[in-house]
Amino acid sequence: MTSTKNAQKPAGRSIRSFTARRSQWAGVLLTSAGLIALPEILKLDGKPHADWQQFLGRLHPLAVHVPIGLLVLLPVLEIAGARKPALREAAELVLGLACVACLGSMVLGYLLAFGSGETGPILSRHLWGGIALSIGLMVCFLVRPAWSKGASTLYPAILCGALFALIWTAHQGGSITHGESYLTAYMPPRMRAFFGLSPANTGRTNTGSFYAKRIQPILDANCLACHGPSKSQGGLRLDSYEELIQGGKDGPVIVSRDFTHSLLLQRITLPVDNARVMPAEGRPLLKAEEIAALRAWVEAGASPQAETVAVVADSKQPEEAPLQPVGDYSAFTSELAVMRASQGPKLLAVSGKPSDGLILNTADAPDGFDDAALARFGKFAPYIVEVDLARTAVTDKSFETLSAFPNLRVVHLEGTQVSGTGVEKLGHLSQLSYINLSETKLSPAALASLRSLKTLKHLYIFDTPAERVSNPASSR
Amino acid sequence: MKQHPLCTDCEHDGNVMDLPIPAKLKQEWAAIETRRNFLGRTGKVMGWAALASLLGEGGLSGNANAADSSARGPAAKQDLVLPHFAPKARRAIYLFMSGGPAQMDLLDYKPNLAALYDKDIPDFVRGNQQLTGMTTGQARFPIAPSHWEFKRYGQTGTWVSDLLPYTGKMVDDLTIIKSTNTDAINHEPAIMLMNTGNMNAGKPCLGAWLSYGLGSMNDNLPTFMVLQTKLNWKENNQPVSSRLWSSGFLSSQYAGVGLRSGGDPVLYLSDPGGVSREVRRKMLDAVEEINRQTMAEVGDPETNARIAQYEMAYRMQSSVPELVDLSKEPQSTWDLYGPDAKEPGTFAYNCLLARRMAERGVRFTQIYKRGWDMHDNVAGMMPMLCGETDRGCYALVTDLKRRGMLEDTLVIWGGEFGRTVYSQGGLTKENYGRDHHPRCFTTWMAGAGVRPGITYGETDDYSYNVVKDPVHVRDFNASILHCLGIDHNKFTFKSQGLDQKLTGPVPANIVPGILA
Repeated sequence: MTSTKNAQKPAGRSIRSFTARRSQWAGVLLTSAGLIALPEILKLDGKPHADWQQFLGRLHPLAVHVPIGLLVLLPVLEIAGARKPALREAAELVLGLACVACLGSMVLGYLLAFGSGETGPILSRHLWGGIALSIGLMVCFLVRPAWSKGASTLYPAILCGALFALIWTAHQGGSITHGESYLTAYMPPRMRAFFGLSPANTGRTNTGSFYAKRIQPILDANCLACHGPSKSQGGLRLDSYEELIQGGKDGPVIVSRDFTHSLLLQRITLPVDNARVMPAEGRPLLKAEEIAALRAWVEAGASPQAETVAVVADSKQPEEAPLQPVGDYSAFTSELAVMRASQGPKLLAVSGKPSDGLILNTADAPDGFDDAALARFGKFAPYIVEVDLARTAVTDKSFETLSAFPNLRVVHLEGTQVSGTGVEKLGHLSQLSYINLSETKLSPAALASLRSLKTLKHLYIFDTPAERVSNPASSR
Repeated sequence: MKQHPLCTDCEHDGNVMDLPIPAKLKQEWAAIETRRNFLGRTGKVMGWAALASLLGEGGLSGNANAADSSARGPAAKQDLVLPHFAPKARRAIYLFMSGGPAQMDLLDYKPNLAALYDKDIPDFVRGNQQLTGMTTGQARFPIAPSHWEFKRYGQTGTWVSDLLPYTGKMVDDLTIIKSTNTDAINHEPAIMLMNTGNMNAGKPCLGAWLSYGLGSMNDNLPTFMVLQTKLNWKENNQPVSSRLWSSGFLSSQYAGVGLRSGGDPVLYLSDPGGVSREVRRKMLDAVEEINRQTMAEVGDPETNARIAQYEMAYRMQSSVPELVDLSKEPQSTWDLYGPDAKEPGTFAYNCLLARRMAERGVRFTQIYKRGWDMHDNVAGMMPMLCGETDRGCYALVTDLKRRGMLEDTLVIWGGEFGRTVYSQGGLTKENYGRDHHPRCFTTWMAGAGVRPGITYGETDDYSYNVVKDPVHVRDFNASILHCLGIDHNKFTFKSQGLDQKLTGPVPANIVPGILA
């Protein structure tokens, strides 16, 4: 009984399995044909389509890891199965799952490309790699039974081929996401030479222009992943000057000398929670100094040749000349501290940096502060950048003392008895930019000599005899 | 399930010191524990005091920073570090418009609203914005266009409401920020957030931080002063409390000192009859001696703050009368500030006082003007408020400018939030009300550190949402600190185990677009 059954069974099975195999072959052939025809039926026309397609499509980068994991597992199971036959049985299941997962990822990937309107040579390589891999896997599934019976060696060959297709396809996918040079950017020079890559990142010529030195590196670091040779979202490429100027589907992105109408600059300066901010997809925003450089370059005419562009945070106001550093006054630290702790005139630091200098402050006890008191600060003269003598008892004699303060920038003499005689003694102070003589006895004659001070930018003569005879504008 | 060792209802006592935490933090806790024990054991006070003097300042105190700075006078240590960089502004004057001025009636011009009179504000504009308890019951949210015309002023052609003719004259000097926004929708949390960077009470305000960080420029006057404008009882005055100028966890000597709007500027500042200056001095010396003993015994840094405050009060006995004596002001002052300025307590008077304080080295002056909370009768109250403040603001900025002080003084104008474009209560052609609105409000700055003659940020057509360049309260405060030479991220004070700062733990950014 038993033996007959056993004898009959394989025969019945083989007939059934033959028909099953035929339908399997037919299914695989049909699916393959469908996959190959897909790019013809649903053309990737470079235009974005429905949102739901992108929503599902964006699961593709996640879903692809399922077939990859299964396919890496598969050869391990097959090889280990030589010693442990149970693993070979598992391998069949894994292969089947890999086929299904691969087809699923294909669908999602196609939705992503179709929905977002992405195109490009890398994308089509990735697409065809994916199609080849799916077909290869399905064929593997068909020829595996013959191999497990020992009748054919087709399976290992096709599986090897499929694995190579997997690596290649995955690499193309990675290039789309991260940019083509992602893998090789930090490759050791020797290895680069081995792979025949040029030593520099790209073949771009460094002409020494501001564009080449400052602008292109910013674009390279922040934009090329989506707006480069591999992937040009919105039809925009930013890997060369010509392409930057040419712009994308929505027109030019740079309007020379017009920061506010330059689309590129608009998009990178949106707040971080704005859906249209660039770089997109949660990539880090550009740094303030990068934006400042781009802005300054655009405002200066967006020239590819200009070698220097004044990079200022705010291009409407020219950058003030940096403050002239003064010497180090640390030797006087304890003396300064004693002054600060008590009432009376004192020297306050402009900032925590000693080279920014000191301010002579007399607000505590202005009444008793006279020319002699001022002269006592002579030893700190090189470090003092600002003297506040408002409402003190100093007179015109103070100009003599002040003329020995080489780094003086600001002089406050409001509400003093000063008439301005001898103010020309300050003429040689190269840093002096501000004098306030409001509510003093400033004479019209002295005003003329004040106006001859070359470095002076801010002069205030409010409520003085000089103001009343000259024009009412108190500042020049 | 295992209970957390710090949980109070633990079955067994967990020891904090066993937790995997940094050794430095453990030391700090240990130090606090020492102080607590030490205060408990009164019998051994003298021995501990001797030890304390051996260890030096901060040896036993958990809050070494506070002990240092208050013992050595304001900012003795900080002065060596701060400002972080050479500042544009050495002082600031903050005109605080408490209650929340309606931006679309003043500076945020929305000409399109006239056509939308009594139409409901679209849902997509209002979004999921929370309502206050005052309008939740309202069936409709009808748009109330501004009752006033706008004109263009200055070379910049900035649109300004007819309510603010004087402000119009100085628009070219202003940095108008239309995109200020806040998190809070009610007065107390909003005004706390604006002033202290936190909705809850207990944090130091901007002025206290500046006072602590930058120190005094004139030992005879407080570093941080607060002027309250006399109340107008026809206005809807929200309370303004001393929490707003408190020093929080900083030593109390950095808190704002208020001048009263009527009578004696500082109560009990003048010596009583029969008490001479010498007697007062002797008394203060004796009190200080007692206080120093207490300090040695208890080690509470607030004792030092108290000593410093007594001394400040003594010096203010002569400096304050000089400060508020306006008899020497030239006629040009009265021409500029107007007749109101002669009456103590008015906004114009306070503006004049603020200029005099700035001249005398007061770091930070804050003027509070209440009454902007117009839930109804906007048409009736707005002219009152603007009439009281418009000229004072203009006079202050202009006065500082002609005296050369705008080059190192920053003036700030703003309230705690804005107001809604839709009417609260009934809307008629003649009148309407406006509810609180946190999503956008208009502020301005002028002077040192900011770019004059610009308008920064944009709101949508309904003055409801910010559509460009938002400036959160944190960014606003960070930018003010920047003008005064302070990096808001580096300016911290350790309290409750955190490096606290004015801008709080949420990332804040200075606003380069408004900075000079």
